[in-house]
Amino acid sequence: MWKLIILLTAAIILAAIFFVPPVRGLGELAKIIFFHVPTAWVSVVGFFTSAFFAAKFLRAGEMKFDELSARAARLGFIFVLLATASGAVFSKLTWGAYWNWDPRQTTIFVLILIYGAYLTLRAAVSDEKARAKVSAVYSLLSVLTVPFLVFILPRMYFSLHPTPVINSAGRLEMDAEILAVLLAAVLDATLIFWRLMKEKN
Amino acid sequence: MNKIYLESVSLSFGHRELFKNLTLEFPAGKTFGVVGANGSGKSTLLKLAAKILKPDAGEVKFHGAKTVAAVTPELKIYDTLTAAENLNFFAQLRGKAVDVSEIGRRVGLDFETELRAGDFSTGMRQRLKFAILLGVDADIWILDEPTSNLDGTGREIFLREIRGGARGGKIILLATNDAADLEVCDEVIELPAGGGDF
Amino acid sequence: MKLSSFLQAAAIFRKDFLVGLRRRAAFAAMAMFALTTIASLSLALGGAFVEPKLLAALLWVVIFFAASAGISGTFEDEAAAGTLSTLKLYAARQAILFGKMFFTLASLGALTIFLLPVFLILFDAEIARLGIFSATVLLGLVGISAAGTLTAALTVSASAKGGLFPILLFPVTLPIFLPAISLTEAAFTGAEFSAEFLAAMIFYDAILVTAASILFDFLD
Repeated sequence: MWKLIILLTAAIILAAIFFVPPVRGLGELAKIIFFHVPTAWVSVVGFFTSAFFAAKFLRAGEMKFDELSARAARLGFIFVLLATASGAVFSKLTWGAYWNWDPRQTTIFVLILIYGAYLTLRAAVSDEKARAKVSAVYSLLSVLTVPFLVFILPRMYFSLHPTPVINSAGRLEMDAEILAVLLAAVLDATLIFWRLMKEKN
Repeated sequence: MNKIYLESVSLSFGHRELFKNLTLEFPAGKTFGVVGANGSGKSTLLKLAAKILKPDAGEVKFHGAKTVAAVTPELKIYDTLTAAENLNFFAQLRGKAVDVSEIGRRVGLDFETELRAGDFSTGMRQRLKFAILLGVDADIWILDEPTSNLDGTGREIFLREIRGGARGGKIILLATNDAADLEVCDEVIELPAGGGDF
Repeated sequence: MKLSSFLQAAAIFRKDFLVGLRRRAAFAAMAMFALTTIASLSLALGGAFVEPKLLAALLWVVIFFAASAGISGTFEDEAAAGTLSTLKLYAARQAILFGKMFFTLASLGALTIFLLPVFLILFDAEIARLGIFSATVLLGLVGISAAGTLTAALTVSASAKGGLFPILLFPVTLPIFLPAISLTEAAFTGAEFSAEFLAAMIFYDAILVTAASILFDFLD
């Protein structure tokens, strides 16, 4: 599995450097989106994965689900930090400021807060069973913010963020080759996340 | 008939296995004494039987009986409320109207007092806990060291009410370190030291 | 909720009220926290004009942190006193949750009534639309009470509770604060407000109350 991931990662890096044309007006640094989009995607995947296993834990009461929920959150936290940092760089490049509370930035910031709160809660509870329960409950409670972040927030603040690759209009506003590399990168990041989830302790 | 039924119940704390495949039956109208050394699991057995604690395996079932009331060292009353307020609050939770002065007479406690439970002596507090037990009128009585901290009259009152409860068809479990309490028990269960199966 | 559970919740509300009156610590902490925050903000700004949007945000920041100071002990106080297990033995779980939730809402309501005049005087502000203002505050407090009561139950078994509570509460109440701040701003200026935000708050409150009710059953 790791071999495949390393190969794919290497191929994506090479493709991003040599194959994809430099973005007009933005230069080579704009290629950070090949890092930003996949990490942002995995931060969201990790969030839902953690909540999924939290729900499984509450239903079945088996500690392995708690372990998986915690691991998804720990991985998600790392990815969300990477996504935020790379996003800020891209933001500086395109909008002239690292941070301006764009709805997307707000969303990802809330995600950082939730991941951080979840991991702090885990650190603060020493009893294993109690920790598993309270963190599972918090994980599910925090999922409730998602519809708000997705539907309500963008109505409140004007966004400069590029529309998602596959947007509501069903149009692809991207060169085919950039899109191909981007999708490969997203797949790659998801594989990395999946592989790390299966890692033995 | 009302009874509590423990069906192959197992429970361990960490690596300490307290009960393994324990099957027991507690029918109504009898008082069961539970004795054993410290750490043998007396209080834990009571909590399992009252469904306060969930077993790791097996099941605890109530047949007929529905409600539980308990006098244990861990279950505290409200220090900021008076005796009457405490009694009325717990009775309200169980939807019971209580005759405060009648229960006061039975347990030998003055419910007219403005004193808050926090200012009570340990013995008075124990009597108040017992008054609550009588006030909520539950089917199952869980009594953990109920006569500790009580003077001679207090102990007599308790033992008398326990006998009365058994006659009234309650399921009564009494954990104690005091052999004198066993005179009200119809059956005595002795737990081996350090837990394990028995 | 069954009728018996409703009566239990009412009994718990009354009991908490009585205990709260006698041990004023929680409410005093909440009120003094609010007062201190308002005073420090007002002093720092030194009477300078504060834009309505900022004013609305400040109000909700004060409410959030004062609420955190006051309601983090909802379950912890009883757990420390040893009465929480007794309460759990004698009352239904949902009754405990809703009794505590309504009591939290009442305390926060009292807090807001106390801090609001101080806030308006110190910042020299006026409320142009009292109706929308009251509705916003009420909806906001309902959401904070629902999420706060569940969060207070989560932190009972945790160490370092004081700092933990606001950390846990903030992300889940953020969906309340943003529309609340917009609506409060409109209430200050008298400008048109968006009914969408009001609907969003009602919707999110309903989600929080339902979730608290479902999730509370999974806790010990």
